[in-house]
Amino acid sequence: MIALTELADAARQVFPGDALMPPRDASWRQVAELGWLVLDLPEELGGLALGREALATVLLEMGKALPATPLAPALLGLQAIVASPDLTGRAEWAARICGGEYIPLNMLPADVFRAGSRLSGTIAGVFEADMATHIVAGTADLYALIPLDAPGVGITEHRLWDESRRLFDVVLDGYILLPELVLAEGQAAWELHDRLSLTAQTAVAADCLGGAEAVLAMTTEYLATRRQFDRPLAMFQALKHRVADMKIALTAAEALFWSRVSDPSATPLHMGAMKAHCAQTFRDIAEDAIQLHGGIGLTEEHPCHRFFKRAFLNAQLCGAIEYWEEQAGRAALA
Amino acid sequence: MSENLDSLRANLREWLAANAPQDWRDAGTHGAFVASQRAWFAKLAGAGYAIPHWPAQWPGGGRTLAAQKVIYEELARADAPRLLLSFVSTYHAFATLHECASAEQQARYLPRILEGEIWCQGFSEPGAGSDLAAVRTKAVRHGDVYVVEGQKVWSTMAQHADRCLLLVRTSAEGAKQAGLTYLLMDMKEPGVTVRPIHQIQGDEEFAEIFLDNVEIPVSERVGEEGAGWAVAQATLASERGLTLMELAYRMRGSMFRLADLIRAAGRADDAGVIRDFGRLTAQVDAVCALADRFLQRRIAGEEAVGDASIVKNAYSRCLRAWADMGVRIGGIGAQHRHAITFGDLTTGNWMADFMNSYAWTIAGGSEEVQRNIIAERMLGMAREPKGWTA
Repeated sequence: MIALTELADAARQVFPGDALMPPRDASWRQVAELGWLVLDLPEELGGLALGREALATVLLEMGKALPATPLAPALLGLQAIVASPDLTGRAEWAARICGGEYIPLNMLPADVFRAGSRLSGTIAGVFEADMATHIVAGTADLYALIPLDAPGVGITEHRLWDESRRLFDVVLDGYILLPELVLAEGQAAWELHDRLSLTAQTAVAADCLGGAEAVLAMTTEYLATRRQFDRPLAMFQALKHRVADMKIALTAAEALFWSRVSDPSATPLHMGAMKAHCAQTFRDIAEDAIQLHGGIGLTEEHPCHRFFKRAFLNAQLCGAIEYWEEQAGRAALA
Repeated sequence: MSENLDSLRANLREWLAANAPQDWRDAGTHGAFVASQRAWFAKLAGAGYAIPHWPAQWPGGGRTLAAQKVIYEELARADAPRLLLSFVSTYHAFATLHECASAEQQARYLPRILEGEIWCQGFSEPGAGSDLAAVRTKAVRHGDVYVVEGQKVWSTMAQHADRCLLLVRTSAEGAKQAGLTYLLMDMKEPGVTVRPIHQIQGDEEFAEIFLDNVEIPVSERVGEEGAGWAVAQATLASERGLTLMELAYRMRGSMFRLADLIRAAGRADDAGVIRDFGRLTAQVDAVCALADRFLQRRIAGEEAVGDASIVKNAYSRCLRAWADMGVRIGGIGAQHRHAITFGDLTTGNWMADFMNSYAWTIAGGSEEVQRNIIAERMLGMAREPKGWTA
């Protein structure tokens, strides 16, 4: 049994916080070689079955370095394949992914219509699709593997404010669905969606908390270094109180995160509401970080803006903040 | 001895189902509330649940922090009355006596506390709030007695107290902390006058204590003369995070009051209200998880400087948000002055709850002082230079 602290140490070594935005392809190979894709895979498929807390630990540490390395989408693709009730050759697919073949799940909604066996429409939220061979397309009532080199399949990149990652649409134009690549349909697709969302919300929230911790540290360091009026900015009580509030919000969000991640009875709604809280916390902290950095925070010459932009993108992934707040409110009022 | 926590929980849950009063918020008058507090303490003490943090020779004592956590979780879950009137005596006075007092003083006072003697705390003064070391109440020794002259304020339930934990100045020399001495004062001594403070929401939980040449025997001193600051730290460190966990859990247990209000106000289909409520639900859950995690860290001996400040500020801000939502949804109805509800912070008497929430951002170290602690001791921000003079 690998202790979570060892995993965290390993993640910090591979993704040191002082080397932001590490090269994508090299770090992806490293992640695959280190076996982080198999952390939560069942033992019969060669996995370590360490559970959600292990994934959370690694993803939170990675989040501090703003990596493009698409571990979360790959883990979700892998989990979809492993959990599929219908797919044949699951073990082979799992082995391919664990060997470094990138098959991500989309992290934004798909808008796809089906005419017979032909699919057309857009599957949004596919990270780093240029390095993928296939995707796992998750739609409202269908989960299926789609080869990106098949006829009727194209990818379109959206340029983002957040330049730490690349985000694509997979565009289908009469793509012929291969029955042997269907993972789940109808009710089974809904159930699969719920299972995956537990990991998806964990992953996004972990990235938020890692980013928030790093940008808070960056801010306190800046305040300690920068001098105005013959004293470090850190000595001004108004600024101390701002960073103290950031620390309070972050610590509370972390507590909520770990309580939900370690709770086997947590529902998709619990996890979504937790993600919304963590995403809002990351946004709040990143926004304040820009303000406290002053002029330099408004430039691309200081890395502060990268956390800010990542926070805003994270807020949209796997259900936006407002969506989950509303779902949580409706459930609490039911 | 390591108690089985599951059976403690089961036994207590059963006992509370049969014994916990349910109408305690509606005592009607302060006097009736105080009487109900005395009765509830006696009942809990009799059943062995009132002093779990005391040593094992006391009935129901000798329990681990983990067991104490179970007890407070169950008290919150059962919506039993909070232990307010006896709080200073069983926590602050106990810790002070246990850690700093002589064997003779302990033997004299601890049994009385268990029998229901009420203590109050005489620390804060008009000129010594967040800056507690600025205490000016003066004690001059004449033979076997100290003669004390001064004024204390914000003393919880002092008008009902039998005895007072009193921090006084015996010397003006040197560092201001070094001139403090700690005394135990009988509230019936000649020269002691108590004036209840009329609080913003109409309650009288606090009082001022005026001390006019009060004679306190030297035998009532805890620790040496000049050691009062250190003794006061033992008093203030006595509570160990249980209260905030209990209050956070009670706040979560009171979410139904807001939900009922939203429905009664016909706002259950208002998407803005629904989202606000969802956001608050997550915030309350986060504070509960935070208070719980903080206690777990204490149980494991891993508490860090500033942890308590984070929990306190996170709770008090969330409490404000909780009451604020009630005030907003409650509309004009929340502006009607209702009879005060006693002994709780999340009662559904929305304006009273809202005003009460300030007690948690101001008392026990204001949120501004807590922010300084977090910034300076956890985040390494530089301290301000000392020695300002006008």
